[in-house]
Amino acid sequence: MNTTSIFIQTLIGGIGIGSLYALIALGYSMVYRSMGLVNFAHGSIYMVGTYLGIIWYTGLVLGLHVSYPVAFIIGVLLNGLLGVLLERIFRPLAKLDLMFMLLGTIGLGFVLDNLAVIIFGAEGFAVRSPLPNAPINIAGILVLPQMLLLICVSALLMVGLQVFLSTTKTGKAMRASAMDHDIASAMGIPVNRMNALTLAIGSGLAAAAGILAAPIVYVNPAMGAAVGLKGFAAAILGGLGSIPGAIAGGLVFGVVEAISAGFISSSYTKGIAFFVVVIVLMLKPSGIVGETVIEKV
Amino acid sequence: MITVENLHTYYGNIHAVKGISFEVRKGEITTLIGANGAGKSTIIKTIAGLLHPKVGTILYDGAPIQKLAADQIVRLGIGYVPEGRRVFPVLTVDENLEMGAYHRSDKSGIIEDRDRMYEIFPRLKERSKQLAGSLSGGEQQMLAIARALMSKPQLLLMDEPSLGLAPILVKQVFEIITELNKNGMTILLSEQNARSSLKIAQHGIVMETGKIRFADTAKALQENSIIQQAYLGVG
Ligand SMILES: Nc1ncnc2c1ncn2[C@@H]1O[C@H](COP(=O)(O)OP(=O)(O)OP(=O)(O)O)[C@@H](O)[C@H]1O
Ligand SMILES: [Mg+2]
Repeated sequence: MNTTSIFIQTLIGGIGIGSLYALIALGYSMVYRSMGLVNFAHGSIYMVGTYLGIIWYTGLVLGLHVSYPVAFIIGVLLNGLLGVLLERIFRPLAKLDLMFMLLGTIGLGFVLDNLAVIIFGAEGFAVRSPLPNAPINIAGILVLPQMLLLICVSALLMVGLQVFLSTTKTGKAMRASAMDHDIASAMGIPVNRMNALTLAIGSGLAAAAGILAAPIVYVNPAMGAAVGLKGFAAAILGGLGSIPGAIAGGLVFGVVEAISAGFISSSYTKGIAFFVVVIVLMLKPSGIVGETVIEKV
Repeated sequence: MITVENLHTYYGNIHAVKGISFEVRKGEITTLIGANGAGKSTIIKTIAGLLHPKVGTILYDGAPIQKLAADQIVRLGIGYVPEGRRVFPVLTVDENLEMGAYHRSDKSGIIEDRDRMYEIFPRLKERSKQLAGSLSGGEQQMLAIARALMSKPQLLLMDEPSLGLAPILVKQVFEIITELNKNGMTILLSEQNARSSLKIAQHGIVMETGKIRFADTAKALQENSIIQQAYLGVG
């Protein structure tokens, strides 16, 4: 195998893991821009969403084995519902200082992590891919089918989100309400409901990411910590609050991580990717896409 | 149409509106005038449901509305043109108008009204696909007015619509307000430009530091020598 095809293979792996980070980063950015709140429980919400879908697939509930696509949909919907509940918890937090938001959301993350340990045990498990486990060979490049699925479904979700936000009345109202809470509500837009929908979408996307990644990663109650942190770094990298930024940030973070692991040193992977984030932010503090940050009213 | 009784509104500890009572009569333009910080915006925001009074009632066609949230107030037929325009900057002109009609579900009616807005404000039509943030100040003011009208209000709350506009645009804004009123719209107009607003209004309320100093017909206020000196620059 030549260097070029190894490089391309690494790149595809990076895009795959980057799609995962992008889906997580979207949750941070969407909630930040609509509520002015940084949700540090998001990594745990990703973990919960993974369980809420995967348990139906692996027979953890009443020995049921629903098909992977059905488990995927159940997980996304249930985690979306969790997002709606979260809006009620976050509503008072969003009015407080950053310190309280930090404490509140980090605390909530601990609660979710511990609940998962109590219900499922601290031990994790591997999940069988619904697709063949053997890598497929595309013109000399080896790719895991599950990785391709992750990339394609993530891309579809991101395109779908953009279409929803830019063409539907509800999507536009969500954007309007993120721009100016007071004026949106004076136009008749129920701002709290828009925030709930935002959290539902963010949590749903996190569940989607987790269920798609489950056959590649190891499912366990602590799985949200690293991914949550990287997704947050990706959101900052792209410009916190920006939707295209979250996508770009996630992909860049994933690719940098994969390339540094593949070609430099796998033990420094994390350090290198975070180092890149710091460098980018020093050069361009508003992030890659760097939309003008809309003042919180 | 609107009866405000003994209204007190606070920002935390700051007592911004201190026991105000007045009436906005159906079919009329009532203007609230006063210097910076007099409390005009606070009153308008309290009626719009963006602030809630600590004491007092606001009756709309006889029913108390001071506890309702802003998104419920607009459904009752009260439209709001905010101070400083505050159009949604990263939505297009078209989308801003669509948001103004958020609570309506009569699709064809909404399109009809949007076309009517474009007739009244031809500049907006030319820019219908442009982001509102890229419009000039005057165009944004027209858009803020049109957006409020899209909710089909019976009563329009307008907070300093002439603020920061060139004289020719100020004139245009006052013409539009007069025209709306002629077609039956009840208007509560907050203004620092007392001269122009008293000219088009039927009633006026003069505010000083959270209290009403004078309340009378616009004509009487224009003839009042204190007001002439303090607000109309006469003498
Ligand atoms: N968000 C706020 N927080 C604290 N105090 C406020 C706030 N908004 C207004 N105030 C205070 O309330 C009082 C009334 O302000 P208001 O904005 O209603 O005045 P106004 O008559 O609209 O003035 P202007 O002509 O400058 O718009 C002022 O003393 C002002 O400083
Ligand atoms: Mg004001």
